[in-house]
Amino acid sequence: MSIWKYLFNLEERRNWWTRKMPDGPLRDYYETPFPARDSDWRQVDYLAIDFETTGLEASQDQILSVGYATVRGDRLILGDATHILIRPTVDIPEASAVVHGILDDRAAGAQPLEEVLPIILHALKGKALLAHHAAIEYEFLNHACRNLYGYPFLCPVVDTLALEVRQYRMQDQAIRSGDLRLAKARARYGLPRYPAHNALTDALAAGELFLAQAAYRRSKRPPRLKDLIVVS
Amino acid sequence: MMDVYRRGHGWPGAIFKGGLIPPSTSANLSCEWEQNMEIELIEIRDFLSAHHPFDQLSEQALNQMPEMLQVRYFRRGTTIPDSGSIDDYLYLVRSGAVEIHGTQDELLAQLGEGDLFGYRASHMEGHAEFQGTAMEDSLVYLLPAADVDRFCREHPQFSYFFEPAGGDRLRDAISSTGEDGSSQLGLMATQIGDMISREPISMPPTASIQETASVMSDERVSSILITQDAKLVGIVTDRDLRRRVVAKGLDTSLPISSIMTADPKTLDASDYAFNAMLQMARANIHHLPILRNGEVAGMLTATDFAQRHTTSAVYLVSSIYKQHDAQGLASISAKLPQLLLNLAAADATANSIGHVITAVVDSITVRLLQLAEERFGPPPVPYAWVAAGSQARSEQTAKSDQDNCLVLDDAYDPKTHGEYFKALAQFVSDGLNACGYVYCPGEMMATTDKWRQPLAGWKRYFNQWINQPEPKALMLTCVFFDLRCIHGEKNLFRELRQYLLDKTRGNQIFLAYMAGNALSFKPPLGFFRNFVLISGGEHDHTFDLKHTGIVPIVDLARVYALAAGSHAINTQDRLKEVASGGEVSHGGAHDLRDALEFVSSLRIRHQARQIKAGEAPNNYMSPDDLSHFERSHLKDAFSVVRTMQNVLSQRYLR
Repeated sequence: MSIWKYLFNLEERRNWWTRKMPDGPLRDYYETPFPARDSDWRQVDYLAIDFETTGLEASQDQILSVGYATVRGDRLILGDATHILIRPTVDIPEASAVVHGILDDRAAGAQPLEEVLPIILHALKGKALLAHHAAIEYEFLNHACRNLYGYPFLCPVVDTLALEVRQYRMQDQAIRSGDLRLAKARARYGLPRYPAHNALTDALAAGELFLAQAAYRRSKRPPRLKDLIVVS
Repeated sequence: MMDVYRRGHGWPGAIFKGGLIPPSTSANLSCEWEQNMEIELIEIRDFLSAHHPFDQLSEQALNQMPEMLQVRYFRRGTTIPDSGSIDDYLYLVRSGAVEIHGTQDELLAQLGEGDLFGYRASHMEGHAEFQGTAMEDSLVYLLPAADVDRFCREHPQFSYFFEPAGGDRLRDAISSTGEDGSSQLGLMATQIGDMISREPISMPPTASIQETASVMSDERVSSILITQDAKLVGIVTDRDLRRRVVAKGLDTSLPISSIMTADPKTLDASDYAFNAMLQMARANIHHLPILRNGEVAGMLTATDFAQRHTTSAVYLVSSIYKQHDAQGLASISAKLPQLLLNLAAADATANSIGHVITAVVDSITVRLLQLAEERFGPPPVPYAWVAAGSQARSEQTAKSDQDNCLVLDDAYDPKTHGEYFKALAQFVSDGLNACGYVYCPGEMMATTDKWRQPLAGWKRYFNQWINQPEPKALMLTCVFFDLRCIHGEKNLFRELRQYLLDKTRGNQIFLAYMAGNALSFKPPLGFFRNFVLISGGEHDHTFDLKHTGIVPIVDLARVYALAAGSHAINTQDRLKEVASGGEVSHGGAHDLRDALEFVSSLRIRHQARQIKAGEAPNNYMSPDDLSHFERSHLKDAFSVVRTMQNVLSQRYLR
């Protein structure tokens, strides 16, 4: 599949899948164009999103909760901030429960992924996905879409961790271990400390970090979306 | 169908705002999810609730607020807002720091975490336009103006904050801060039932006036309950007998019911004594029938408070007159801090506390003069012992320096009478010093020859001060424009007072000097983090409540009073009197009174805390000691003072 990435851009691939796909939540999602790569970053809507999961492997682990909020240009909108618990089909491993605090009995009252995924896709429509270390969210979404709908997930992605790495490289600084963690990166921009490991708090934290990173881009012209997204 | 409707109704709306969700996909969203929504934004809600005016909102209203917010990040040095008007949003600093500058680029405020700007704040500070600049990288919450408007309509407590400084905002603050947590003390914790000492004395309504009076006389009570079938129907006091019977020549064989106060105010025995005192003060009554389970339990009288409360002012004053030396008086004045504590705990207003504390000082002074006359014999010529400064204004709280002087009859002859008055003044001054009212470092005391003068000498002084004012001399002598006769020949003092008021009324040149003097203490701009922000952008760690908050108002009121020729001395009285005279606007005077009451009550609570901690009370507060609520209202009070100082300077100093 990876060859398509180099032959066709994201928007072309979206169009292609839209024509191919049967009706359903994923097709609904694909019907709205992605934000244009050449747009001024402030003209773009982003969905700051975070998952808490049973582990880091999208192929074997499960999503336990999702939190998201919209970043509209240079502001984070709390009005549609959402947090949803997802019912896993397996017991929650103890090692991950320690981190996110979601226990079996609480998760049992939650919704199955097939009900939550359409909500997430709907929220993502026409937006860029925004997360800290976005590969996790992207891969989990991709797996979920393939498993439930049989088709891959596509989205322009802004990764605050990748932006942070670029910042270090540009300033020729060495990255030490831990420097790229969300809390540490936020501290560099003078952002307040939040309690970690709640999906919505982390999503908001990533959204705010993005606002700070964008404000700190030293360039004559405001950056465009293509300057900020990672290749997907 | 039913099912869908119910859920749709209960949702907080987060998902609906994103768009329509197919019913099939939302089928299992439960109530638990709705609670989760609140929990997740709890961090932001908690931040709001810790800051004024959001702390005034109900839990429910507060929960609605986070989702109205937008979050923005401003790099150090960037302008806020970067587009549109500053009034489009209410800005709340979440982290970082923001400076606000006026149109002349003058610094108006430095704002830190939890501080607000934007939205209507422009006219709050009396500046038409201003602009913010991020001094540090700042994360800022924005609340759209339309949402603020709606919140203001729905929550009056919240809307007070956005009204012009002063006005209801300060009045509101005065009543809210009264509930400070010192309730363990005295009257707050005592139940009325524990204060009633004797069985109720009662008469049936059919008894004659004469019979009732006779029972009252036998029982040695000043009031009596009128009961029928064990139910209270009325009350009769000594005063009623005097005013309604004797003064009118009423027939004393009439039934007592014809002159009783029917259905009097009552309280339950389980009520707190503090409440009773408030009720009595409010209604100006001295007798309050007390019920227990609906039946008459007894009568609470004003004197019960004095007996109960060994440090009440009444008790202190009455025991002052039983003392025979300065040592005895000192032991009583040592109880003043406790009296201040009790008054503060009873939520007395700062103005009334000032009056009560000053009444004790007055009594000590009078007693010392009595003792002096006992020792040195009767005065050879009439004299008036006059207090100056805060004692004259009845605004003492903690002990301060003594400021006093002697006005002597013009028959005074230094050669023959000099020794007597010198000795008298020394005796009183030493006594006051022993009681903690230390010698005035500026020597403004009747012990110095300069301040012990016959009436003609005093007139000469005032003549010179008023007709040839010198700024430096005025600073020292303005304390002599607040004078009150404590003891002696009141007419001597009255003549002097009338003399000086006739000279000051409408005297533009003199008033200009006084106005200049009144502007010498400037309140700070506000607070920034743990600093006090002084105009010009400098910081200080502590601020002096007296000189930055109280003195400027006292000085303003003095100018108004002298300009109007008002006899009032107490600052609240002065402001009340001049409000109708045109020297100051009605609203301006009212705001100043509220500002004074707020700052003074803050000072009293600060001093009460120090007394409780075993420290000597002072006027210095650190911004750390202030709640966010207090900071916000103190800033208001400062702003009122600044505005009125500007008005004064426009009027006299152009």
